[in-house]
Amino acid sequence: MIELRGVKKTYYTEGKETPVLFGIDFKIEEGDYTAIMAPSGTGKSTLLNILGTLDKPTEGKYLFRNRDLTELSDDELSRMRNKSIGFVFQLFNLLGRVSVLENVLLPLLYAETYPKEARERALRLLDMVGLGDRVHFKPNALSGGQQQRVAIARALINEPDLLLADEPTGNLDSMSSEEILQIFDEIHRKGRTIVVVTHERDVALRADKIITMKDGRVFSEERTR
Amino acid sequence: MKSRSGRLFRIFGHAVRALADQKGKTILMMLGTAVGIMLLTGVVGLSRGVEKRIEEVMAFMGPRSGMVFAGGGRLQSAGARAGSGSTLKLQDVETLRNKLSDRAVFSATLRREGVQVKYEGQAWETAVFAVDPDFPIVSDWAIAAGEPLDYHDEKSLARSCLIGATVARNLMIEDDPLGKKILINRIPFTVKGVLEAKGTNTMGMDMDDCVWTPLSTGMRRIFHATSIRMVRFKVREGYSIPEVREEVERILKEAHKIKEGEEIDFTIRTPDFIAKRIMEMTRTARLVGYSLAIVALLVGGIVLMNILLLSVSERVPEIGLKRAVGATANDIFLEFIMESVSVSVLGMLLGIILGFIPLLLLPRLMPMLPMAFSFKSLTYGFIFSAAVGIFFGVQPAKRASRLTPIEALR
Ligand SMILES: Nc1ncnc2c1ncn2[C@@H]1O[C@H](COP(=O)(O)OP(=O)(O)O)[C@@H](O)[C@H]1O
Ligand SMILES: [Mg+2]
Repeated sequence: MIELRGVKKTYYTEGKETPVLFGIDFKIEEGDYTAIMAPSGTGKSTLLNILGTLDKPTEGKYLFRNRDLTELSDDELSRMRNKSIGFVFQLFNLLGRVSVLENVLLPLLYAETYPKEARERALRLLDMVGLGDRVHFKPNALSGGQQQRVAIARALINEPDLLLADEPTGNLDSMSSEEILQIFDEIHRKGRTIVVVTHERDVALRADKIITMKDGRVFSEERTR
Repeated sequence: MKSRSGRLFRIFGHAVRALADQKGKTILMMLGTAVGIMLLTGVVGLSRGVEKRIEEVMAFMGPRSGMVFAGGGRLQSAGARAGSGSTLKLQDVETLRNKLSDRAVFSATLRREGVQVKYEGQAWETAVFAVDPDFPIVSDWAIAAGEPLDYHDEKSLARSCLIGATVARNLMIEDDPLGKKILINRIPFTVKGVLEAKGTNTMGMDMDDCVWTPLSTGMRRIFHATSIRMVRFKVREGYSIPEVREEVERILKEAHKIKEGEEIDFTIRTPDFIAKRIMEMTRTARLVGYSLAIVALLVGGIVLMNILLLSVSERVPEIGLKRAVGATANDIFLEFIMESVSVSVLGMLLGIILGFIPLLLLPRLMPMLPMAFSFKSLTYGFIFSAAVGIFFGVQPAKRASRLTPIEALR
């Protein structure tokens, strides 16, 4: 489904060059649960942002179902994110002034068509992540783990082809982390493609496949089962 | 197309939601527009009032008519002074007719309120006009039945009269008024005709509550006057009113032997002149009002812009999130422009409400002040507030929409 070919990324800020990715090549198959593992500060988020079309590579190709996304316009990429990609961030990134339910519905604001059963779908997703009784709460009334579960429901509202998660348990205690990882397992069982970025081995081990990065390059690819 | 408008509508809903969630900021952003539109509503009301007052004057005098009063002085005091002045003589009317009859028709008039008229058992108080035969032309007033007062009546001091519909009704002679002998101030007059009904004028006076006698008879028998109070004139089609007015002034000055620099002992009023005076009296108020409204809208717009800029920087993570879930740069731009326009239109609604309060109260407190409600203020208000919203919203909205997704998410 996804193929990266020689993807390089260099940040240019205030005349300073920061090369982060030095040529990444890998493929992710439809339905795979993949973990990308690397130590902190070595470009995991950078890579995930490129996969999520939030950022563009400096060099190289990003093929999504054989379409080169590096050639798309900003508007086309927005549509792509809206329809095909769901994001889960390390810091949850919920909109604090609206309810849990409205947070889940947020991506539909920008959808081409608003599905009639949007509300039911959102409620079903909140049920799935165990927050069926919290739909009218404001995010700050929830624990970190609960907030991250809202974020997962939001990422799934548009039934994306690809779910991306950037250290989804990085800010959570071990019990909440386990809950989140179980939800990922379940989403994976239902057939969705998932890419999780992490620096923790036990998080990575939940995936089918682990891609390990070193010095901005792919160091190894291994299957866990 | 349908889906596109649905999406616009959802984004608009979200913009309004953002305003509701940040009430303090929203109120601050509304304030300038509210004050500006409030002033604008007031000034538009004043301007409309001025127009209405002028229309009333035009309708009352007739657009091509003018009046010469005895005595000098200003508009307001002219009537009062005219009573004491005996500076206008019948001879003056003759002089004006001789020199200007090609350009205007002149008519001398005396008028008195509260004169008793009687027919058999019925009595009624009304206004008596002593008029010369040209009065119907000058005042655009036709005869509904019978005959007008003519030069023969004038020369012979005839005791004939014309009556208005209200007088006919109150003397109970409306069925067959012609030839009836009525008493005016206990002097018998024969009803020669009935005046065309004019109804109530713009100032609420019943125009049909009057009796006309020949000028000569009236002066001698009812007014006991040797001089007149007022000469009305009507400028013929094709001649300019201001020019005729100047001629009248020149001829009367000559007749009254008034030298250059001396105060004149008569007052000429034409509708265009009165309109000019009303405009002049309210010009300052209108200018100040409009300027203050514009200043308020500009200051309010700048305040709006700065608060919205602040709001954009506070909401960078929100913008990043929205970009991440699929908002295009244009969606973000629209969302902030919609916030800005909505807030100033809300400010306009508040301003209109605040502006109507003085508009409703002031005319009651100061009846002389011309003030009137006008739908123009709604139209202007909407256009100006939307313009303020768009103009001052563009910069914050651009700043928000130019953030790239990763910049906004960091
Ligand atoms: N927008 C940016 N501009 C400049 N440097 C950046 C930017 N984003 C990340 N970096 C740098 O790139 C490197 C990799 O960052 P990141 O992808 O966030 O790593 P990770 O997610 O693995 O911790 C870090 O050194 C970071 O400082
Ligand atoms: Mg990171």
